[in-house]
Amino acid sequence: MKTVFLSALVSTSLALPAIAEEFKWAVTTDPQTLDPHAVNSAPVLGFLNNVYEGLVRRGKDMSVEPALATSWEPIGDGEGWRFTLRQGVTFQDGSAFNADDVIFSYKRASDEASDTRSWFASVSDAVKVDDYTVDILTNAPNPIFPGSIANWMIMDSGWAEANNAGLPDKENGNYATLNANGTGAFAVTAREPGLRTELQPHAGWWGEVEHNITKAELVPVQNPATALAALLSGDVDFINPVPIQDVARLQSNPNVDVIQGIEARVIMLGFPHEADTLKYSSDVTDANPFADLRVRQAVAHAINVPAILQTIMRGNAQEVSQLVSPAMNGYSDSLAARPAYDPERAKALLAEAGYADGFSFGLKCPNNRYLNDESVCQAVTGMLAQVGIKATLDAMPVSNYWPELRADNYDMYLLGWSPGTFDAEHPIRFLASTPNSEKKLGSWNFGGFSNARVDELLPMIQSEIDADKRQALVDEAHKILQDEVAYVPMYVQPLVWGTGSNIELTQRPDNFFILRWVTVN
Amino acid sequence: MLAYVIRRIGQSILVLLIVGLVAFSMFNFVGDPIDNMLGQERTIEDVERLKEQLGLDKPFPVQYYKFLEGAVQGNFGVSYRQGRPVSEILLERAPATLELAAVSALFAILIGIALGVYTAIKRDGFLANFIMSTSLIGVSLPTFLIGILLIYLFSVELNWLPSFGRGEVVDLGGWTTGLLTSSGLKSLILPAITLGLYQMTLIMRLVRSEMLEVLRQDYIRFARARGLGDSTVHFRHALKNTMVPVVTIIGLQLGAIIAFAIITETVFQWPGMGLLFINAIQFVDIPVMAAYLMLISVMFVGINLAVDILYAFIDPRLRVAGK
Repeated sequence: MKTVFLSALVSTSLALPAIAEEFKWAVTTDPQTLDPHAVNSAPVLGFLNNVYEGLVRRGKDMSVEPALATSWEPIGDGEGWRFTLRQGVTFQDGSAFNADDVIFSYKRASDEASDTRSWFASVSDAVKVDDYTVDILTNAPNPIFPGSIANWMIMDSGWAEANNAGLPDKENGNYATLNANGTGAFAVTAREPGLRTELQPHAGWWGEVEHNITKAELVPVQNPATALAALLSGDVDFINPVPIQDVARLQSNPNVDVIQGIEARVIMLGFPHEADTLKYSSDVTDANPFADLRVRQAVAHAINVPAILQTIMRGNAQEVSQLVSPAMNGYSDSLAARPAYDPERAKALLAEAGYADGFSFGLKCPNNRYLNDESVCQAVTGMLAQVGIKATLDAMPVSNYWPELRADNYDMYLLGWSPGTFDAEHPIRFLASTPNSEKKLGSWNFGGFSNARVDELLPMIQSEIDADKRQALVDEAHKILQDEVAYVPMYVQPLVWGTGSNIELTQRPDNFFILRWVTVN
Repeated sequence: MLAYVIRRIGQSILVLLIVGLVAFSMFNFVGDPIDNMLGQERTIEDVERLKEQLGLDKPFPVQYYKFLEGAVQGNFGVSYRQGRPVSEILLERAPATLELAAVSALFAILIGIALGVYTAIKRDGFLANFIMSTSLIGVSLPTFLIGILLIYLFSVELNWLPSFGRGEVVDLGGWTTGLLTSSGLKSLILPAITLGLYQMTLIMRLVRSEMLEVLRQDYIRFARARGLGDSTVHFRHALKNTMVPVVTIIGLQLGAIIAFAIITETVFQWPGMGLLFINAIQFVDIPVMAAYLMLISVMFVGINLAVDILYAFIDPRLRVAGK
């Protein structure tokens, strides 16, 4: 009897130990800080979504779902939003989460020192109603406010103040730059900036665990060939992005999977609307041809987007006609068609505008910012040349590129835009509004596009509660932008991720990698 | 001799100042660091405020003077990208680069000298000619291509060695080493070969040509005439004299190995100072770039100075002239 009991005990013991599942993922850009309010950029926010949490979050299909708030509702007739907080949530250091942390995080994230301040442009105050209720008051009705703060992450007020991290410090960094204490599913357990970041599951996480990871490691690998070799040799489980020219080869390898999708980023060409003359033309010295609508239309018709998608993007990208992709909230279905490739019509328009013999100009592009950006610009140069517009292409590293645009040193430029709020209002505010520093509008409208009706429509869009009316307003704005050819949207950038074949994960259109959706088989 | 040393030191300091000035002025062409420190929803005021905060709105001479002032005290400022003192970051990364450089140099020197001697002694042999022909690869192929080829062969196809990284390291208090762990040693092999291959080829060819020259000398002929054995002639007499110019070249190449580590570290994602520098360029992290260039310059100038002084001692002719 004793022998039988001992045998059973041994059997039970052997069955008990869980198998450890480690996951290693390679990125091209290491997050430069662990401070969730210091830098509003995808590499930082994407990574920190695994460590910190906001009141709401985005699901696998980008829909807004509850996180630290269990529900939210408008206050009165658009005076703000009331959030009911989740109870029983703990930070990774064991501290309890409550309304004080929300108020603290609001003040911190909306401070001048924070790069996330723009998220709270419409907010006038945040009020603690009780330990688990917070009112966020807005200057005007803001129908998309909950979704627009999906990346606003809540910090532990006690932890931050105890470690002198009450505000982000961009110049010298502080404790929150190198350490993290969120409510998210994973905690940062080791951090070597620029080299390695280790994550382990947050034992006290409030949510239902869908993953089986016991330890995860993030490593930056800048060299695409090295990242590819690391995936093929099994040294890493995930790489992003896969170089497009290697997709076919990976797909034929049984040990790896390629996950293809469409990102939220729209790639487009921009014009110097307010310039009097061209900067880099050798034959047009006293005028700006791009100020003429017909010339801009000619550019749109001259560019063969399907050819670009087929030859440069290898069929991985998607044609687009607006500043947002079809996956975005506010996309105008009625305006889905982009100008057809029609070089003859382009030439006719140019002749009509007085440029029958064409003209020369300077095209500025980055060469390390968007997928195959330099190649796309070379293709555009060739297509424009076919209708008589001769572009001198100047492709440069993105670090030199933005200063050139700000200094108006371009005749045409390439731009990619991914709306952080996943909504059409975002690019209208930043790209299509008349630049206005005081109102913080049009900060990326380098060309100075200006349309009185669009400027009227924006605040209406921002405060319209009724979804159908709001869509109609957005449609009107999009139509104006199309009719005026404010930009030439070309395609939505592809997402191409590579994983080991034993990995299951979810690809999100904003290119954020969420660890709690990963399963290692 | 003392006057010679003092003059060389003075020249070294002058070189450092010029290098610092040139490097610092070049940063204006690398790009604007502000864009990488702010997200896409920043405003124009944000850009201006940050520029002022970092001192980038001041005229170039003011910025350069401030940099030199800090550098003399060992203070290179704070990294824009990491928000940490640059000195701290460099000290953290230095062990990886120095270990890689040391192992590469050892590999290059030992194999290079051995092959050089062999091809000189057996210069008409088949294997010697094969080695000489094959060595052209080391000279002709760019470092990053060699690195990637090695990765695909040994990591992807054969799965013998890791494809990137440094493996596990042991912290010795202020210095982390990969020489004491199995994964650390495995990780070191491919990068060391990649980095050392060019230098090995150079040393091999130099040793071979010098040794062939030495073997034609009269004193070698007299040594043989006295009935000394081949090994005595080859190693005790010929090799010793061969090494005089080789020492000079090896010293200079050590600096090159550390400098060229940039490419190797990028390909293998080796967490040293070279990779740090490349990342700093992409991010326009001016404090890190400036500190790295100054450090490399000091190293290069220091090695040059040491080699010159060593050469003065090692060469009897210079010693006699000195007196």
